[in-house]
Amino acid sequence: MSVRDVVVVGGSIAALTAVEMLRMEDFDGRITVLSDEDVPPYTRVPLSKGVLTGTESIDDVVLAPLADDVDLRLQTSATALDIDTRTVHTPSGPVRYDGLVIATGGRARRLGRPDQVERVLRSHGDCARLRDDLAAASSVLVVGGGFLGMEIASTARTLGREVTVVDLAPPLDRLLGAAVGGHVRSVATQAGVRIVVTDGGVRLLGAPVPTGVELVDGTRLEADLVVSAVGDVPNVEWLAGSGVQLHGGIVVDSHCRVAPDVVAAGDVTVISEGDGQLTRSPHWTNAVDQARAAVRALLHGDSAAPYRPSQYCWTEQFGLDVKMVGDLDPQGEPTVLDGSLDEGSALLAWPDATAPRTVIAVNHRTPPAKLKRLLKPAAAAAPA
Amino acid sequence: MRIVADQDRCEGHGLCADTAPEVYDLDDDAIVVLRHEVVPPELERKAEAGARVCPVAALRVEQIGAEP
Repeated sequence: MSVRDVVVVGGSIAALTAVEMLRMEDFDGRITVLSDEDVPPYTRVPLSKGVLTGTESIDDVVLAPLADDVDLRLQTSATALDIDTRTVHTPSGPVRYDGLVIATGGRARRLGRPDQVERVLRSHGDCARLRDDLAAASSVLVVGGGFLGMEIASTARTLGREVTVVDLAPPLDRLLGAAVGGHVRSVATQAGVRIVVTDGGVRLLGAPVPTGVELVDGTRLEADLVVSAVGDVPNVEWLAGSGVQLHGGIVVDSHCRVAPDVVAAGDVTVISEGDGQLTRSPHWTNAVDQARAAVRALLHGDSAAPYRPSQYCWTEQFGLDVKMVGDLDPQGEPTVLDGSLDEGSALLAWPDATAPRTVIAVNHRTPPAKLKRLLKPAAAAAPA
Repeated sequence: MRIVADQDRCEGHGLCADTAPEVYDLDDDAIVVLRHEVVPPELERKAEAGARVCPVAALRVEQIGAEP
């Protein structure tokens, strides 16, 4: 049966890309998008930067609107999926599909107790609340030193706040590796950020609004504003009992398929590698790559090209523009392809320049397409 | 159709050019450059797709006058 009615569940970049890909593939059936957001798809990327400082508004970060013939239903959450009858249930009634794209994304992970009103940053609503809190605070404690946590720290420092970041490991090492992670941390420290690495979990103090954390050794860190930036949790609860395989996210195959005529893309997924290992890549470009592969698989089945991650991610903080392709957390010292970290601009490769598995540009205006071409040239040249 | 590129917002991620190389190019500093003043009709869909994928919302799609 050919697919005539596609339902996309989600309202962010994976959902938007899925719609875009349907149109690019000349799909001329009906497209319905169910989004639990109260605004059309927007990019979260500036929420930790310009929107948080207040120089940009939500209007500045809304993505180009969907075509008029797409039925975008805002504030409509999916509550259950029935694969046998091809139905998505919502509070305003059932929605039937021939083809389903699941792109329900994730939400901020929380550390605290239910009675603690934790400050997080994921949605534009979170951002507005955090911006207001930031305006009233003189000190900020960021719990979690990933890209998001460190970007929040950078923005708070720009606003003149006293900033502490606490994490279980040196911030950013898990993503950028120790060489570049160390460089960014030294720039952050010079900018006045205090970084605390603790050898065990933290306990969030204060209720309803958290006022600090307690470390395993009993040390207390306190601040006017405490922000948790400790990753995200995939939105899969609505799929309980549907038969969709869940394992820390929706398990998708090499074509982003989940079940007959059901595909998934973006932060809600975990990818099953050949060896049974499950990996999750909650990054913008992965959402885009997966959404494209998912739609091709939905329309063309086995003949569709499989998902091929472009493995590109980036962060901007403390005046550093870091763009990265390839495997996360590169080990050891890089080969310097151009410039030097000490001079502020560098192009770096791991493990060596001949067959790099990771390339990072720090304040180095190399187009990402060129970075990707530097990666594993032998593999890239091989037939797909 | 016209694309309006905000070059101050552009961070050089190049996803627009990956998506629609016929419409978007990057200069030596990896900042977006539009290949057409007015997007040719046959490229409109790709141009829109390239605009929507921008992670910093630096690209706007504008319809010009009385297009069909």
